[in-house]
Amino acid sequence: MPIPNGDSGWVFEACGLKKQYDDGQVQALRGVDFRIQQGEFVAIVGPSGSGKSTLLQMLGALDHPSAGTLRYRGASLQERADLASYRALEIGFIFQAFHLLPTFTALENVQIPMFETHRSVSERKHRAIELLKAVGLETRLHHFPAKLSGGERQRVAIARSLANGASVLLADEPTGNLDSENANLILDLLVGLRREQNFTLILVTHDLGIARQAARIIEMKDGRIVSDALNKEPT
Amino acid sequence: MTFFTFVTRGLTRRPVRTGLTIVGIAIGIAAVVALVGISRGFESSWQTGMKSRGTDIVVSSMGRGLTPKPFSATVVERIAPLPHVAETCTLLVDLISVEKAEMMIVSARQWGGFSWKNLKITSGRLPNDDAERAVVLGKTAAEVLVKKVGDTLQLETEELNVVGIVDGGAVVEDGSFILSLPLLQGITGNQGKINIIDVRVTPGTGKEALTRLCEQITGLVPEARAVVAGEHIRESQAYRMISAMSWGTSLLAVLVGVLGVMNTMLMTIFERTQEICVLLAIGWSRGRIVRMVLWESALLGFLGGVSGVLIGVVGVKLLVTTPAIRGLLEAELNPQLLVMAVAIAVVVGVFSGIYPAWWSSRLAPSQALHG
Repeated sequence: MPIPNGDSGWVFEACGLKKQYDDGQVQALRGVDFRIQQGEFVAIVGPSGSGKSTLLQMLGALDHPSAGTLRYRGASLQERADLASYRALEIGFIFQAFHLLPTFTALENVQIPMFETHRSVSERKHRAIELLKAVGLETRLHHFPAKLSGGERQRVAIARSLANGASVLLADEPTGNLDSENANLILDLLVGLRREQNFTLILVTHDLGIARQAARIIEMKDGRIVSDALNKEPT
Repeated sequence: MTFFTFVTRGLTRRPVRTGLTIVGIAIGIAAVVALVGISRGFESSWQTGMKSRGTDIVVSSMGRGLTPKPFSATVVERIAPLPHVAETCTLLVDLISVEKAEMMIVSARQWGGFSWKNLKITSGRLPNDDAERAVVLGKTAAEVLVKKVGDTLQLETEELNVVGIVDGGAVVEDGSFILSLPLLQGITGNQGKINIIDVRVTPGTGKEALTRLCEQITGLVPEARAVVAGEHIRESQAYRMISAMSWGTSLLAVLVGVLGVMNTMLMTIFERTQEICVLLAIGWSRGRIVRMVLWESALLGFLGGVSGVLIGVVGVKLLVTTPAIRGLLEAELNPQLLVMAVAIAVVVGVFSGIYPAWWSSRLAPSQALHG
């Protein structure tokens, strides 16, 4: 399905983006500017406290910037009234700690975001099965998260993030809780799915090895972007 | 998977806590069913008893006690000549401990009065005259006292012969100990006193005429008040007190239920803070989160309500068979009361869920990234 771009042609445009907490005592973002195109694979790297997760929260509309503007497909995200709908339909979120609901099976977890769509019960189930097949978990449909390995849980989370056909995937340290073997498998899966579906992948990591797989690396420090460069040879 | 799956999973993840909360609501609702059912049953038992005696108007002075205050029997002479009055029957009714029964309705009736006529004899006979030292027992009273025709009964200091067992056609009548008026007046030292006059009106007397007659009698008999049969029990301060206590106790029980559900819902929401934030982060609207919490608490209320109705009905059925109460009243457990009890429980559930729902809807989705 072609993804409609706004007038600007950019998926995200950030201009002078700031975020402060505790009445300005903590400056998480100190004026960030960048633009991201549809289909890009961007890695945001930086040490703890550099503001990379805060930036991801802004992109995911999980929090509001204190100053500056953030546009999604040409329209201001701050002025958008239906942020829940934005989170449900436009983006997919992948968390470091997976955050699957423990009392729901893999199949059920993948269906959760689909409640915000008009899909019928059977359509939701059918789509969840397809997505779990796509991440190689067709034999684990009815397993609860406690019965899945870390890598399998993250694969369920990836399937969940794609449930509503998001055009942007935001991943916060998606391999942070995995061993290197599973980390590589998850990264390969994400890269493969991105190639197939052409979604924009924005990945936050402190692991430069993982960041090198992205086509573009944004490095942050103390709430500012210190470098934003194309990676000419993604590994 | 449907939205309802979320609601049920929310409750089944902590089955013991959910079960205990349901039990808590159920006890409250059982109290509502039992107390209100008994209180209403008390009223309807007396109404049925009046109907069974063939009484249209009751003249009595319902004071603070469960039985009316005595007044002079000569009062009846002022009532009998009034238009629309077909017959009168004077009674002295009391609640007295009789042998094994802690409290029994002792109903002494004017000999030959119409209140004797509707009694169906199941064994033995009625007393031969008002001088015979004999009693007839309602069938339930006979069972409670374990007496049959030919046995003797001790009432105060008097020994009386059981000459008959009767079917009175109403719980109150079946639970009564019936004897002639002069006999009880003599035993209790109330010579010349009665506390009830049953009035039967001429056939075809309309509702308005009945009300006018009540007003007329009340004007003629300042020591008592005439009311349409059955309504006199509502005039009793004791009944009003019982009724008020029933509702008061029920209200307390319901309040405890509210606190119980609110506590459970808050606990479950606090435990699931992270999950709720994740749901918000992956696109669930705040409205859907509120609906989820309110449905959970409503379901808790509903389950508690249904269990409470079952416990209440079974409890009341057992209670009215206990010797202390048997024959005095029957509980009125009509479907309206039972549906109302479940509805109260659901309202309690929803009301208790409002604060937890509001609290959970205020959570920030960004918290999903922490932890």
